[in-house]
Amino acid sequence: MARLMACIAGLRRARGRFGAIALLSVIAGVLASLLLHGAGWAQSPLLLAGGDTTVQNRTSQGYSQPAPNLSPEWLALHQVGDRHFEAAFVTPPAPVNGGLGPLFNNTSCTGCHIRDGRGMPIPGQLLLRVSLPRQGLPNSPDPVLPAPTEAAPVLRANAHLEASVSLGNAPPVPGIGTQIQDQAVYGYVPEARVKLRWQEQPGTYADGTPYSLRSPQFEITLPSGDPLPSHILVSPRIPSPVFGLGLLEAVPEAEILALADPDDRDGDGISGRPNAVWDVEQHAEVLGRFGWKANNPTLLQQGASAYINDMGVTNPLFPEPDGSYEIDAHTLKANTVYVQTLAVPAPTQRQDPQVLRGERLFNAANCAGCHVPTLRTGTHQVPALANQTIHPYTDLLLHDLGEGLADHRPDFRATGQEWRTPPLWGLGLVQTVLPYSGYLHDGRARTLAEAILWHGGEAASAREAFRTMPEGDRAALLKFLNSR
Amino acid sequence: MNGRMKLWVGVGAFVITQASTQAIADPTPESASTGDRPIATQPHPVAPAPLSVAQAGGEGGEGGEGIAPQSVGFCAAIAVEGGGEGGESGAAQPVSSPVRVYDAATVPALPFGDRQVLTSFVDTVLLPTYGELNRAAQRLHRAIAQFAARPTQANLQATRQAWLAARLPWESSEAFAFGPAASLGYDAGLDDWPVNEVDVLAILQSQDALTPEYLETLQTSQKGFHTIEFLLFGRNNDKRLTDFTPRELEYLQLIGADFAATAENLLASWAEGVEGYPAYRKEFVEAGDRSTAYPTPQAAATELVQGIIDILDELGAVKIGEALDAQNPFLLESRFSHSSLQDFYQNLRSVELTYFAGSASRPGRHSLSRYVASIDPSLDTQVRQYLLAAESAVKAIPGPIETTLCDPAAKPQIAAARDSLLTLRGVFEQWIMPLVQE
Repeated sequence: MARLMACIAGLRRARGRFGAIALLSVIAGVLASLLLHGAGWAQSPLLLAGGDTTVQNRTSQGYSQPAPNLSPEWLALHQVGDRHFEAAFVTPPAPVNGGLGPLFNNTSCTGCHIRDGRGMPIPGQLLLRVSLPRQGLPNSPDPVLPAPTEAAPVLRANAHLEASVSLGNAPPVPGIGTQIQDQAVYGYVPEARVKLRWQEQPGTYADGTPYSLRSPQFEITLPSGDPLPSHILVSPRIPSPVFGLGLLEAVPEAEILALADPDDRDGDGISGRPNAVWDVEQHAEVLGRFGWKANNPTLLQQGASAYINDMGVTNPLFPEPDGSYEIDAHTLKANTVYVQTLAVPAPTQRQDPQVLRGERLFNAANCAGCHVPTLRTGTHQVPALANQTIHPYTDLLLHDLGEGLADHRPDFRATGQEWRTPPLWGLGLVQTVLPYSGYLHDGRARTLAEAILWHGGEAASAREAFRTMPEGDRAALLKFLNSR
Repeated sequence: MNGRMKLWVGVGAFVITQASTQAIADPTPESASTGDRPIATQPHPVAPAPLSVAQAGGEGGEGGEGIAPQSVGFCAAIAVEGGGEGGESGAAQPVSSPVRVYDAATVPALPFGDRQVLTSFVDTVLLPTYGELNRAAQRLHRAIAQFAARPTQANLQATRQAWLAARLPWESSEAFAFGPAASLGYDAGLDDWPVNEVDVLAILQSQDALTPEYLETLQTSQKGFHTIEFLLFGRNNDKRLTDFTPRELEYLQLIGADFAATAENLLASWAEGVEGYPAYRKEFVEAGDRSTAYPTPQAAATELVQGIIDILDELGAVKIGEALDAQNPFLLESRFSHSSLQDFYQNLRSVELTYFAGSASRPGRHSLSRYVASIDPSLDTQVRQYLLAAESAVKAIPGPIETTLCDPAAKPQIAAARDSLLTLRGVFEQWIMPLVQE
């Protein structure tokens, strides 16, 4: 309605007689609309999940729309960033998109964040973070560093620029760094070959209905043919959706910290701890927000580290040893703005009684204790993101999810059992955008029900609430989630 | 303002403008909300923003650099000079079109619910297109094998023809690339771009055994349409029979087999299901029923219109617009074979296929076109006119565009084609989408 009023005001300013006619037209239109559709319209307003950045789009491109409230200048930069996000890199020198590698996981942003959504738990998209255990480091130097060979002349040991980020509790693995790059341009040897098997484990709902949960088993083979030594910590992670992230970046730190309850003073069994991570630009420890463990502080750094670590593309934040880089600051900026300004799709079927019931059950089971429905943004360099009321269903904090989901690999202040609450907005579009994709950090959950059933630790009581619900209630809760 | 509100605002505008006998004939951004619906005069989302950005690229180097860090090549000199000109041709100016006024009859009484439109689309458009792609891919595979066995000029010609023929169904499927094409990697597997030329040449120069196991280690930028094209046509459609090495023929066979298998899987993913997943056809045609991807028929119909909008944007703003503004033929997708123009025609064909569930002259009984016409026949007529205009504008581009892109004489036609495509995008975005949306 605000936009309508602005529009009327604009008309009034803009024109004399024609303006008056136009104004009358608009008013007549509004009256007609209210008269004929008013009841329905008033009952089912669009839930502005992303505030003024919300779009009504439930297609496979639902995550890929620019925020509708961008000024032409920001929209233009968004469109430039869109091209960069899609650009597939190739081995240099090349007339188009040179700069790939030498080691990498994928060749483009969109190769992992497919249609700006998540990726699949398959090689090339599923990423394995690795590190040495902080305690009891084996004394032997470079236990897995392969010797240079004719075929692999220049394996840049620790060329992983994330190693330059202070990772006190996740020391890089010599020869690998903190991420296994399982692809390489011609003439280089990938750091490892990764094979994935799924292991099933049965369970039952309280009503006796059986289910089966799967978890991944990795077979990681080094170039030498040896398996990755077992003392090395491995954390598998699928790519996360990238829409709405600018809004999360714009949530004031104080608002997030106010949600934290590290010692569970309110006694609800839910703690919520902020991560504190290294900001490469500021050279300081700051609040972490992005990634499965909230291990990245800003979208600029997230993007820059993805360029260098996932694609082997050096950039101003993570340059070559001699200070040069393969993409410039403008590219990095546009790419960041693209991700910052992707719209949030509005929920659907909001007035469906089953959805409404599901929402009540969601709150009653205290899912909302971590998946906080509503946040407010503060200031942001992109004006369209500032001062918005949003419904991301996250608190951006770390929570202990129990042994079942643990990766046992610390990440800054996150323990091996903690994960950052992922947003639930757009959740119902996951299978539309990327059919067959999975949920949770490694994509193990094939359905939302499986994802809930994996919750443990602080979320054990919420999971039990779901597991013990009558079937109809479970279906309502799932329908609610799928309406987001 | 939601779509329905907009429509009714339009109705109000119509009633009053009729009564006042003084039509508002001055479409400005604001007047969009009065129902006049001028295409592309709203700053967003219709305005061809990428183009205005490319202009900025000319001034500040904001855009193109990362995408094309070394825009050297055919018309490097022109590119330098053309940077400033990009602004003029850039046509960030609104693309104008006749005013359209909705009347009361235009508003659908009920939300889109004609599942037969969905079924008809899958069965008469999508499956036959993927079926033809599969057959064309198998023919290409066989042609490569024949050429490798007997590398004659005639066999080379036949293989090149088979490659060009396989492009037709593929490019005419680009308006409906949703579903398994993206998530199971078939799109990238068939049509990754650009080719990793450095790596492909390194493989050719190596002694590596080109086995099926080796194929598994290849990246998508080392196989698929464009690597095959690179090997068959050379860098600038200039490869001679005597240029072919036995190693190239061997590599072509390896990736030719992979190409055929991928095309077969793409078809199977919709028709029968692959990797233990059910046929994706069901997901789509059972929208609003048992589908996990499409909770309502409107969501599925919206998917079709969104696909049309996206390919028109890709074609107008990127494939044509970006290459034109950068004056860089390296950005043309099928530049090795000088057949990018043919891709453009087929992309438009994919819009036609999706909208008509057939062709403009023979629309399917159940199609978006019939649905639109059932609400407002004149709207359907207008869509046809814009589609025709876009087709003739694209056909007017002098070819091959690989050689005309930097020719100042061709610039007006190329820019006009881009503009008419973006206008057509606006037509679907502003007029058609509201009719199928929830």
